[in-house]
Amino acid sequence: MSNNGAPKQSFSFADPDKVQNILSQYPDKQSALLPLLHLAQSEEGYISSAVIDTISEIVDCHQALVMDCVSFYTMLYTKPHGRHIIQVCQTLSCSLNGADGLVDHVTAKCGIKPGETTDDNRFTLMKVECLGSCGTAPVVQVNNDYHESLTLEEFEKLLESLK
Amino acid sequence: MSSFEPVLTKHIHEEDCHTLAFYRSVGGYKALEKVLSMKPDEVIDTVKASNLRGRGGAGFPAGVKWSFIPNDSDKPTYLINNADESEPGTFKDRLLINKTPHQMMEGMIIASYAIGCNLAFIYIRGEFYKETCLLEAVLAEAYDANLLGKGILGSDYDLDVVIHRGAGAYICGEETGLIESLEGKRGWPRIKPPFPAVEGYLKCPTVVNNVETLCNLPHIFNQGPEWFRSIGPEQGPGPKLYCVSGCVNSPDVFEEPMGVPLKDLIYDRAGGIRNGNELKAVFPGGSSSAILTAEEAMNVNMDFDSLINIKSMLGSAGIIVMDEKVDMVQACLNIARFYEHESCGQCTPCREGTTWLVKMLIRMINGGGTERDIEMIYEITDNIGGLIDFSQGSFGKTICPFGEAVAWPVRSFVEKFKDEFLSYMPNLEVVA
Amino acid sequence: MPIVKIDDTDFTVEKGTSVLQAALANDIEIPHYCYHPALEIVGSCRMCLVKVEGMPKLQVSCNTFVGDVPSDKKIDGKYDMVVSTQDELVQQEQKNMLEFLLLNHPLDCPVCDQAGECDLQDYAFKYGNAHSRFEEDKRVRPNEYLGSQIVINHNRCILCSRCVRFTREISGSSELFVEARGYNSKISVLEEKPLDNLLAGNVADICPVGALLSTDYIHKNRIWNLDKQPSICQDCSVGCNVDVFHQKDQILRLTPRENHSVNKFFMCDKGRYGFHRFEEIERLTVPMIMSEGGFIETTWDEAIEKTVDELNGAGKGIAGIASPFHTNEANFMLGRLVNGNVGTLPPITSEEINYPSGFRISGDRSPNRHGMNDVCPSIVDDFASAVERKDIRFLYLLDDGIDRELNELWKGMLEKIDFVVVQSYAMTDVSKCADIVLPGQAPFEREGTITNDMGRVQWLRPSVTTKGESRPDWEIPMLIQSKHAGVEGLTDVSSVMNEMGKDFAAYSDITFFRLGDQGLPLNGKAEE
Repeated sequence: MSNNGAPKQSFSFADPDKVQNILSQYPDKQSALLPLLHLAQSEEGYISSAVIDTISEIVDCHQALVMDCVSFYTMLYTKPHGRHIIQVCQTLSCSLNGADGLVDHVTAKCGIKPGETTDDNRFTLMKVECLGSCGTAPVVQVNNDYHESLTLEEFEKLLESLK
Repeated sequence: MSSFEPVLTKHIHEEDCHTLAFYRSVGGYKALEKVLSMKPDEVIDTVKASNLRGRGGAGFPAGVKWSFIPNDSDKPTYLINNADESEPGTFKDRLLINKTPHQMMEGMIIASYAIGCNLAFIYIRGEFYKETCLLEAVLAEAYDANLLGKGILGSDYDLDVVIHRGAGAYICGEETGLIESLEGKRGWPRIKPPFPAVEGYLKCPTVVNNVETLCNLPHIFNQGPEWFRSIGPEQGPGPKLYCVSGCVNSPDVFEEPMGVPLKDLIYDRAGGIRNGNELKAVFPGGSSSAILTAEEAMNVNMDFDSLINIKSMLGSAGIIVMDEKVDMVQACLNIARFYEHESCGQCTPCREGTTWLVKMLIRMINGGGTERDIEMIYEITDNIGGLIDFSQGSFGKTICPFGEAVAWPVRSFVEKFKDEFLSYMPNLEVVA
Repeated sequence: MPIVKIDDTDFTVEKGTSVLQAALANDIEIPHYCYHPALEIVGSCRMCLVKVEGMPKLQVSCNTFVGDVPSDKKIDGKYDMVVSTQDELVQQEQKNMLEFLLLNHPLDCPVCDQAGECDLQDYAFKYGNAHSRFEEDKRVRPNEYLGSQIVINHNRCILCSRCVRFTREISGSSELFVEARGYNSKISVLEEKPLDNLLAGNVADICPVGALLSTDYIHKNRIWNLDKQPSICQDCSVGCNVDVFHQKDQILRLTPRENHSVNKFFMCDKGRYGFHRFEEIERLTVPMIMSEGGFIETTWDEAIEKTVDELNGAGKGIAGIASPFHTNEANFMLGRLVNGNVGTLPPITSEEINYPSGFRISGDRSPNRHGMNDVCPSIVDDFASAVERKDIRFLYLLDDGIDRELNELWKGMLEKIDFVVVQSYAMTDVSKCADIVLPGQAPFEREGTITNDMGRVQWLRPSVTTKGESRPDWEIPMLIQSKHAGVEGLTDVSSVMNEMGKDFAAYSDITFFRLGDQGLPLNGKAEE
């Protein structure tokens, strides 16, 4: 999940077989849009305009329709982020169990507010809405992984471990 | 402690309970064998007879939903397993996926068979990455064991299942928003009619069922619809997963019959209020339900009708417990912000009204509120989602129930904890 | 057929008609924004709520369809559906929706181009509250260009999504999309894929508020200052129906006018902005005779006398050039003048465009080739060699009025002919070849009929008055012909139509009254 320097002018998927496999699962091409966007983001770190061009060609629909979709979903990023995206759930059960403290901790320790990325590109901090893990609040998602029932000490250790 | 023997979560604490071998060792896929020897109509009738009501939130009878699929359509039929669990306070489907994925898969195959579907989808919320990986392995196991694919278990029934990840949008848990999303579009709910059973995914007949709903199916066929109906109240029977979170000592998912007293869930199963505090308020059915005062919560049973009777709802049975330390104005803002963030923006009242509420609440918290704002909040919530008791035919103001989902909780906060809202207002003497 | 009762009136409607369609067809207003008859129903503005008897909640009338109810279930033993658009609950909802829509709306009506034809303004006046209860900050965003000729004022946008659906369903170009979601939603376009298709101008028309604006008209005038004239677009052979908005004989804009037989609700930008062509062209308003030093102005009397003299002197060697840019009546009178001995200039063509929605832009840029051929049936293809063969000495040319270069063949031919009359409104290359120029009308000054390429006859009505001494295009050849033949002239364009009907049976029943706003198919010829 890294992106250094200027955005690439063109994008192609690393493994065309994966793309074909995704397409083959659906009765129509456009249904493959979200899976292809996920795949592209896992390779590029975000949805660049080059990604949009490539995918719009694959699923055979206008780039604007792809962007319409991308802009709707919070997990799809149109800008590059840090290596570790710290997503702190802020909805009620997590909030009642100290989520705000976790956000403040990152801000104090790394000097970034929600929505910001550290200068060394290590962390991006985000406040997100309910992650569906209220029984193990507070919960923080870092990239793909959930970290549940976090105490401040555990969270501190977690941040340390993310290089 | 409860004497009820869990049905859906009976084996979740056992080692390797997610594997096919384990599931088969406890009678897994026996119901499917039985179902494959029945006619699809008989399968639907059995589910109708069980009176299984949807566990996603709306509580619509599952068998009836299936029976809306037209018999004479020449289009393919689709089943979508709604695993987009995102209602705040709800975390039961994630548990079912992690611990008993084959139970869910068996339910999916049964439902697909009943409605004549040969391609089914699991729409799983995008954040559930680990669960997606697990399900991929589960699918592979199922294909290997001829539980999926061509000629399932020697029958002439074929079924493929595709896992489809969402990408971060609460509204995609609404069935038509989900269908749009599956089609590769923004998850804007569709106006009905047409209903998904007639024109759903790719304009084909489609049924959307929740994970927990599907997990009930194998048991209905193993033990019979009469057995199912004997659990809990007649109007909405069966075992039920209750998620308890917030200010309790042992938050978790608990399986009890429909109609269990809410008090038992909070004080017995979830270990009571943390730090010995007093109970203040409870969301009984996810953040879209109207909150209950402590008194209401101590006296209500967790079933569809009992909660409607006190102007709330069972919803997804996501129980969020708030204790005496919780600032109800801040809690109200927290929930209002959630809905502001998740409003899809399609319908006028929801797009504009939700943000209006948030702006007002922030102004109140910053000391800029007036008593008139209380009345305004009532009116705005009514205008977004209508009155909670459906009394004046003034509900259904938006395409999907999101309007109600914003309006009811926000209004109930203000109505039931008005003094706390007034206490934020300057120059106002609060009568204790 | 089902019977629906709306308020106090009964209507018989086709099964499957929506309540909104039934109401609108019968002049019952139900306020609405997202609904547009050409676009898919989304039901998102929530403005068209009505009360339907037997339904527990208010229904959006755009997506509530009247069906056939079994006779034992009919309401009051008679109705398939009973609807109230005036119920107290409905009126309250209308107030509520307008309150929401106006929360973030800037109320800049004094400087808004939509003012006077704005559904938000009109409905707010009729159905809304007089005051706002909103005390918070409004959402404010800067204007943006969506394409070279369309600007969006985001603050005024009510997100009805008509424009987005238009680009997906009608133009098929899909440039527009909704960006983000919820309160942050906005109509957007990708920077590298701007809204620059040939139908782009329509999005400004279908925008129910002042959010989408055509740069061609922005801040030019106030709509209530303008006069509106129903007319026909003259930019291709499809003949889209239009309204011409004008003030003091100046055209300010064209908008499409609904006609289900001709491109339905929309028009293309070639036609929409085509009227500007006539602003740039050097206009002729007095008759002119070529002399050694060039053209000199003359009087109509002298010009006609001179033309008749030349005509007399030419004997049988006379011919005419008909024009597919002119009305049937002008071409008919020309044909009569030259005894049907007619040719026409080379056609002006461009690529034909067919949109998946059925919208069509013809490759023939002339509006009336079908009609010209109908009333000048003897038009010869190879006119130049016919001129040689028949020893043509007098040529009466009805000029297309398009500024174009003539090819060598035509130039050579015109030079060879002793006397060339050009009837035109502009000093075109063709006019420059004339011995005498007779000033006719510009396209939006003309009155008469034109027949589109599907054989539909339509009423072309004058939007602006004729400039200077210019005369109607049918009248000039008529005057010459009557003087030449020594017969009484025709007095108006209707009498020309009458004469035309005598000669050409297909046109025998055509009158302006019968054509009305929608036109008529030629006898059995048009595809309805």
